[in-house]
Amino acid sequence: MHKSRANSLIFTTLSVAYAALILFPVFWMWSYAFKSEAEMFARPTVWLFNPTFEHFGYMIENGYHHYLVNSLIVSGASTALVVLIGTPAAYAFARYRDMTLRDDLFLFVLATRMAPPVCLVIPYYLIYAKFDLLDTYLGLVIAYLTFNLSFYVWVLSSFCRDLPLELEEAARVEGYSRAQAFVKVLLPLLRPGITATAVLCFIFAWNEFMYAFLLGGQNVKTLPVGIPSLITTQGVRWGEMAIIGMVGTLPVMVVVFFLQKHIVRGLTMGAVKG
Amino acid sequence: MTEISAAPASADRPAAGETHHRESRWYPYALIAPTMLTLAVVALVPFLYMGWISLHEARYGQVGAFAGLANYKKLLADARFWNSMSVAGLFVAIAVPIEFMLGLIGALVLSQKIRFRSVLIPFLFIPSMMAPIIVGLVWKTMLAGSWGFFSYNLLEHFGILSGTSVFASPDLALYGLIFVDIWEWTPFMVLTFFAGMQALPANPFWAAQVDGANPVQIFFRLTLPMLAPLLVVIGLIRTIDAFKVYDTIYILTNGGPGITTESPSVLGYKYTFDFWEIGTASALAVVIWLIFFVFCNVFYQIAKRRLNVF
Repeated sequence: MHKSRANSLIFTTLSVAYAALILFPVFWMWSYAFKSEAEMFARPTVWLFNPTFEHFGYMIENGYHHYLVNSLIVSGASTALVVLIGTPAAYAFARYRDMTLRDDLFLFVLATRMAPPVCLVIPYYLIYAKFDLLDTYLGLVIAYLTFNLSFYVWVLSSFCRDLPLELEEAARVEGYSRAQAFVKVLLPLLRPGITATAVLCFIFAWNEFMYAFLLGGQNVKTLPVGIPSLITTQGVRWGEMAIIGMVGTLPVMVVVFFLQKHIVRGLTMGAVKG
Repeated sequence: MTEISAAPASADRPAAGETHHRESRWYPYALIAPTMLTLAVVALVPFLYMGWISLHEARYGQVGAFAGLANYKKLLADARFWNSMSVAGLFVAIAVPIEFMLGLIGALVLSQKIRFRSVLIPFLFIPSMMAPIIVGLVWKTMLAGSWGFFSYNLLEHFGILSGTSVFASPDLALYGLIFVDIWEWTPFMVLTFFAGMQALPANPFWAAQVDGANPVQIFFRLTLPMLAPLLVVIGLIRTIDAFKVYDTIYILTNGGPGITTESPSVLGYKYTFDFWEIGTASALAVVIWLIFFVFCNVFYQIAKRRLNVF
């Protein structure tokens, strides 16, 4: 009894220390948002400082709040589209496992998710240049479908496999058509899975850098693109970068707290039920 | 909610209730059609277009005459291509096994009787859920020369790297990136393996304890073999992701110093947007995609047959 309490203390200390090691660099970076240049570059390191808000002023003056709005628009629109298109497919892949070519089609869906963005960004750039889609919301929303639609279908499909088949059959006996049974009986049960997967899609779009950087331009710059834009010929604006780092990470933290059970499932493409 | 738990019906689960509906053959295809059409347009068409470009002379966005496999020959003769493959190979070969080992150890620690576990777990998700470009920014501030928190407080005290920084050193830059990747992904491995361990059936473990097996035996004879398919699947996902890392490299080194950290993604980017060698870039992208497709296929087969998911 005594030994197990000591063990518990040791393991707890280890875990807390590890979590601190994980978090410290993130919060340290955030602190730059409130430090003057002298405090940032001070040797030895300055621990206590008078918070300044000059960096926030610079961000507003230079229109960086538009980056935030752009991020919200692009991530929100692409997520909504993915839910609309992908939900029936996720259900069909889970439910009709006998359909011809099912495995090949499902693997194709996976392959579009796993492909490195650099493979797609080249043709996208050329095609968008032809169709005037560079630097448009629509262009980014379409590009984000490549990884989010396939992700959504795969992960939601693993949620769909948990649905009891008997429920659908009971609904059919009651006289519902298959489409009615899906919409009226199964969809409400799927809601937590849909929410979790959609929120993860939102975060992936929110975090995305390469497409936004290369296919966006002047009008459609998202938050991640703001980071390299602050590496200027007059020097690196660390405080402003830290603000983007902070604003970009806060929603992710909120999501992590509410969705922790589903994140493992999401990041392993449904292979591990968290 | 499932009072009608008819056992016989779930035995032949997929086919049940399907045969007597005439429309049933087309119904599933109607459901997947929007997704498949969308993916065909947004992924397959660009991919085929890229394949087509890779067989033509193409520079500065102009696609010229048919060139056969000339772009591929050029690519395979380019030392930078092989350099990028070895950068990616080294990156994966060091980062993934370390993340794996640390992940297993962390998951074992987390499985013990720990206080505040439910409070700790969400924090561990943060590095792998935050934007990779912001991860890069975090480590830019930690490891910057002279004033970076780690550079000043840690590295300098051991006499490493005064007057330079990890990411400016040709010898250390790649290891710096590997370190960042380990920081970013180990917590995720811990949580995944932890979830896998929690899901294992309890009976074999009780039986082993009754038989007097020690914890080491239990780990190597029971936990590890039972987790094996899961470990393979996670390893594959992580390998695929590590192979295509771009954002953190872009912000931390952009392939430098020289070409010491130039991964295939960075090289593909430079071929396209720095040298405008679209043909060679497309050939590179096709080669990368082929490598990935093999990985994906293996992932799928193992996940389906051994883990019985999907």
